[in-house]
Amino acid sequence: MNAITLIARDELRLMRRNRVTVIAFALLTLLTLAAALISWSHQTGIAETRARFQAQAAQEFTAQPDRHPHRMVHFGNFIFRPLPPLAAFDPGVDAFTGNSMFLEGHRQNSANFGDVRQSSLLVRFGQLTPAFVLQVIAPLLLVFLGYGAVARERERGTLRQMLVQGVSARALLLGKLLALAIVAALVGLPALAAFLLIAGQPGALAGPMAVMVLGYGAYLALWSIIVILVSALVRRGRDALLALLALWTVLVILLPRVAPDIAAQTHMLPTRLETDIAIQQDLHRLGDAHNPDDPFFTAFRQKVLRHYGVDRVEDLPVNYNGLLAVEGEKLTSRLFDDYARRSFTVQQAQSRLTDGFGIISPAIALRRLSMAAAGTDLEGHRRFLAQAEAYRYAMVQQLNQLQADTVRYADDKAKDAGADQRKRISADHWQAIPQFRFKPATTGDLVKASLPGLGLLLAWLAFALLALLPVARILQKARA
Amino acid sequence: MTLLTHELRLLLRSRMALLALLLVALLAAASVAAGMAEVARQRDVIARIQPKQAQDMAAVAQWAAETKDPGTAAYYSFHATWDTPSPLAFAALGLRDVAPYILRVRALGLEAQLYDGEAFNPELALPGRFDFAFVLVYLTPLFVIALFHDLVSGEREAGRLRMLDALAGSGRSLWRRRVLLRGGLLFLALAAPLTIGAILSAVPLPTLLSVQGLVALYLAFWIGVTLLVGRMRWSSVANAATLAGIWLVLTLILPTIAHVAINRLIPVGEGVELTLAQREAVNRAWDIPRADTMRAFYAGHPEWKDSPPLTDAFHYKWYFAFHQVGDESVAPKVAAYRNGIEARDAAARGIGWLLPSVGVQAALTRLANTDMAAQLAYQDRIRAFHEKLRNFYYRYLFTDTPFEKDDFDRAPTFVGGA
Repeated sequence: MNAITLIARDELRLMRRNRVTVIAFALLTLLTLAAALISWSHQTGIAETRARFQAQAAQEFTAQPDRHPHRMVHFGNFIFRPLPPLAAFDPGVDAFTGNSMFLEGHRQNSANFGDVRQSSLLVRFGQLTPAFVLQVIAPLLLVFLGYGAVARERERGTLRQMLVQGVSARALLLGKLLALAIVAALVGLPALAAFLLIAGQPGALAGPMAVMVLGYGAYLALWSIIVILVSALVRRGRDALLALLALWTVLVILLPRVAPDIAAQTHMLPTRLETDIAIQQDLHRLGDAHNPDDPFFTAFRQKVLRHYGVDRVEDLPVNYNGLLAVEGEKLTSRLFDDYARRSFTVQQAQSRLTDGFGIISPAIALRRLSMAAAGTDLEGHRRFLAQAEAYRYAMVQQLNQLQADTVRYADDKAKDAGADQRKRISADHWQAIPQFRFKPATTGDLVKASLPGLGLLLAWLAFALLALLPVARILQKARA
Repeated sequence: MTLLTHELRLLLRSRMALLALLLVALLAAASVAAGMAEVARQRDVIARIQPKQAQDMAAVAQWAAETKDPGTAAYYSFHATWDTPSPLAFAALGLRDVAPYILRVRALGLEAQLYDGEAFNPELALPGRFDFAFVLVYLTPLFVIALFHDLVSGEREAGRLRMLDALAGSGRSLWRRRVLLRGGLLFLALAAPLTIGAILSAVPLPTLLSVQGLVALYLAFWIGVTLLVGRMRWSSVANAATLAGIWLVLTLILPTIAHVAINRLIPVGEGVELTLAQREAVNRAWDIPRADTMRAFYAGHPEWKDSPPLTDAFHYKWYFAFHQVGDESVAPKVAAYRNGIEARDAAARGIGWLLPSVGVQAALTRLANTDMAAQLAYQDRIRAFHEKLRNFYYRYLFTDTPFEKDDFDRAPTFVGGA
């Protein structure tokens, strides 16, 4: 044990003496802090804008004058996706999904005005966030700091000396690893500070944050081991550096881009246009509200008449048009949900296929964990879409029910000069409709979603630790 | 010539150099293949929607023709527009994975339709696509570094440098020969797959030459940087580390910082604002005298002002008029929104003059017509088509001409790009 700490201390002293190392380390610290500050102010700005627009939309909705309730169905409502608190650390797909949605009757609209469509091409170079620094840049620093740890000893012949003097290869490896791991911990420290800053925000959950700390810790530890392993296996320092750079490029830069391409080609997503047409066709098959002799709507009318015990829709105590609107919305919404579910199933399959590449790239595993814990992944977006649709349906049906209950059928049908005024109902009704409130994911949801990524990372870590044993044995033989 | 073949033999005997060159060729070929597959898929999708669209229109015509009401026909007819990928799109997919290349519009207010997105998985778009532009901009510099970082220092470390410099007269030309050879082979490894892909995709020769020129320039830049660092007389390892650091700063860190700075300095909140305002304007029409709307409409479109006056009954021409008035009332906001986006794009191009990585990416997506300008041009074509569409239906609506079944076939059709 003593040998290990001695070797670690020696290695750290060497690193501290190396000016390039110190400068690189200082730069990374600065970069992490800058990234945290920039990302935090950027996300706060976004959150404020969305909150402002949300308030404006809510105000406009309730300020609408007296009118026919169906007009409000078409006026609809705008809602905005709030950012989860951890988005400042890892904004995930936020820039790529629209963040505002128009909710109206008869239609399920897309989320619009995503950042990516209104930013310059630079958005495709990645975003400067603490997550980006830790996932992409920190491993590179560890490569530069550690590639020579063992290879250097071998090149200078000091390796054989140490082994002859009785230092076991295992102690040597563990000592070097300890030194690099301490550096890795220092590398992660500014990010941790940023993390605590974010933790001060209301709504930040301890569970997902713990998973993230664990995940990023495992990732940095993993890279430390990879660096030491390669350094021990390769004959010369420069070969170690090149091999590690190649490894970093493939694992961190290349594979995360290739995997989605494969996923997109494997699972094809139907276009919006095709979905819209298919929904129209299905609707027509179900029933045609325009056709007075349509079997579905005839049956519906019969059912309503029987229920109220009357012979004509004119004699109903409620407005038949309102009932038709409720029934129509029920039909269309069921179809919308059905198609949305199908589209999401394909997207989920795509994401799962991409995640599978986490087996060969720890960077992909970490990204999955990070986005899932932050609630900024596809599932987080779907959570918003699902709640938006539930809200839209409740709002539209409430308005349709108002049409059935408060607008007289005779007035609804009337086309005389005064009819327009008689069809209107009081604006109090819109003010009574609750505004959209996004229910954020629970700790349990987020933690559960991030577990697969964490599992993969820990498996990587265990595998890498185990690989140290045979490598130590190979190194031990170098004595001879 | 024999000297060159000798150098070639020397170079190829180095396992790492050979491996690096093969890998570049392989990555370039794979990216070209992936890009071509994606473009083919997009073309297929565009082709696939045509019969479905025609079928949908026929179904609408079937029942809407019975009413002979041009308003009903206009309200229920969705018309397809599409943005065909350019021949070079395979090399730089640009925004084509996140912005729609198919959009259906109808003659109602366009501002409520124009910004609709296509269904796509944001997790796939997040890391960016694996296309030729990516291989060139991100990966190629790393291979340049691998092949050139120890050009001189490697000889020094092997103890051959003095001897090589002492060779009478051949000193300078030797290094020139080696640089040209390595650079040339690297260019070949990149340009060959690209050229094959371009020929298969029928890319016009001037465009292809421009892209090849870009590849050569970008290579030259990185080779230049590598040689400059090499002059510092550091060890090979120090060279490699320094160059990797430069690469990191130029391709990852500075562009991301510039992105945040540009979005900060040029805000474009107007996107949402304009849709909120448009909705407000459109829906207000139900609460104000219809004559006011018609007056506002006729002021901008005097060609229809002799249309018979409205009666108490609902008339679609009023409905379409207030949609158009709604669009027109937000025109300044639309212009501001667009200016903001264009300003951001221009700023990024400006950064491209300082950062070659950004410059090459911008130039490639421009040549491939997949950048923001191409997106905005597609929006312009949708606008022009939407205007034709409106005027087509207005001819019936404002003259109370019955809309017959045959008239459905007379509606303007979108003319796709290249």
